[in-house]
Amino acid sequence: MSSGRKEKLVAPGMLRDLITAWLGDGDLLALGGLFKQGRPCALVREVIRGGRRDLKLVSSPGSGFDVDVMIAAGCVAETFLPAVTLETRMCPAFRGAVEAGTVRAHCVDALSVVGGLMAAAHGVPFQPVVAWKGSDVPRNNPLAAEITCPFTGEALFATRAIRPKLALLHAQEGDRYGNIRHLSTMTYADQMMARASERVIVSVDRLVSTEDIVARPRETTIPCTYVDAVVEIPHGAHPTGSFPLYSIDEAHIEGYADVAEAARRAGRDGGGDAGDGLADYLTRVVRAPATQADYLEAIGGKARLTALEQEAASL
Amino acid sequence: MTDTRCTPAELQAFVLSRELKDGEMGAAGASAAIPMAAIMLARHMHAPDIQIAGEMFVNPRPRQLWDSMLDDRALGACEAAETFLELFGHSHRGLDFFFHNGMQIDRFGNINLHFIGGSIDRPRMRGPGAANISYAGTSRRFYICTHAHSPRTFVPRVDFITSPGYLDGPESFHAAGLKGGPALCVTPLAVMDFDPDSLTMRLKSVHPWSSVEEVVAKTGFELGLPDRVPVTDLPDAGTLDLLRGKVDTAGLLRR
Repeated sequence: MSSGRKEKLVAPGMLRDLITAWLGDGDLLALGGLFKQGRPCALVREVIRGGRRDLKLVSSPGSGFDVDVMIAAGCVAETFLPAVTLETRMCPAFRGAVEAGTVRAHCVDALSVVGGLMAAAHGVPFQPVVAWKGSDVPRNNPLAAEITCPFTGEALFATRAIRPKLALLHAQEGDRYGNIRHLSTMTYADQMMARASERVIVSVDRLVSTEDIVARPRETTIPCTYVDAVVEIPHGAHPTGSFPLYSIDEAHIEGYADVAEAARRAGRDGGGDAGDGLADYLTRVVRAPATQADYLEAIGGKARLTALEQEAASL
Repeated sequence: MTDTRCTPAELQAFVLSRELKDGEMGAAGASAAIPMAAIMLARHMHAPDIQIAGEMFVNPRPRQLWDSMLDDRALGACEAAETFLELFGHSHRGLDFFFHNGMQIDRFGNINLHFIGGSIDRPRMRGPGAANISYAGTSRRFYICTHAHSPRTFVPRVDFITSPGYLDGPESFHAAGLKGGPALCVTPLAVMDFDPDSLTMRLKSVHPWSSVEEVVAKTGFELGLPDRVPVTDLPDAGTLDLLRGKVDTAGLLRR
């Protein structure tokens, strides 16, 4: 390789400027992973610290924790998210904000998000959908429109291409040119989001050599051509899981949900200091840590991380 | 000696397992510990050739049940991992069976996971929404499996149809071009099926710890009642051994 090849590796300290340059207030942001696995949580905290507002969010069909924290931090105006849940309980900030009318949760399902990302990835304006029958979702879905099949005359739907301004993804490995390798079994919609988005930033738990990538090219899940920046952030998905390296920190997510739920009830009832726990969480865990090392200290340090690594290794 | 007293969740998994046939292909859905237990138990019992597919992964081998069955804790070991790219084709082709839960369920088996009261843009109570709403209409059948049985859950008419059951009955169901529909609704108290003519929900059996009176009182619409309502069959000791020893090794359904 010529030494003149441009590297896409960026230092964690450059992230805030990069995100601010590539994502404006009100823009559409895509988040990788699903529910509690492979979520770009460290990158999401940078978006929050950068103070972006009125964002529109899209993700794979299932999301929860990181979306809820972004809403709690006041960054979000609209969501295009099919299922928003912590699975054992609801997302408190999402629920509270939608019920209060401060966030608009558009009525979309898996096929509109997957179809929209597919269309954008393929460079076409929409994806036809036949399998929407009987549900109230397509009628209320701003991405859907009724069309007629030009070949058979059949009535069906089109779902509009989704072209995020920026995608934030997390994977286990990548090289300095932006070749990404998931070691996890499930990669969800990450590959599709990389192809659909204008800009793509990927955090990886560890950097590997390009020789290592070239030795197993079929294992490259996202080629460098779709990636604009790669950043090495160990435990960058925490508290979500990054298998097989570390498992899901359910206790952390539950702890967050408890304080967010207390804040939701306090907001609804207009009362007291029950929202303080959430304010403290956002300060102490999300905004204050200057580096990932500081963050990892704030969430329990080495003891907590070792336990999560051991759980992942035992599966 | 196996303790043959089973929990409601274990009984729900057992009831559902007996519905699944050998050689069929289906998936468990989200928040799916009970449905996944049903599929895995069926494999151990009478249906070794069930294929778990349609949700990006093929034939996972979870070593225990988890509250979420959609991450690598449950799916790390499987025969193949697909991506969401494949969900489009699966959703259009449909499966043999699928499972749904609901915030609201009505007498036609329509399911609401979006909102209760107000409007979709300004709901009084906003639910989680749903990822896949297509399998309800493209699969051969689906099962409704709930964690609660109350008049709040079982309502005369859902405020919003997230996933369609039989809509307003036979005419609307066929006019909408839906296939299959809900086959059973299994709750912690009872098993319901659907009258083949009216497509409305009726009581099929009552779990031994409940009664017809309790189920009727906790259902917010007029439930069809046969002359005689049997008690739900319980799993025998051998079946419970399989469920606890091979499927639910962490005791998630016994909490």
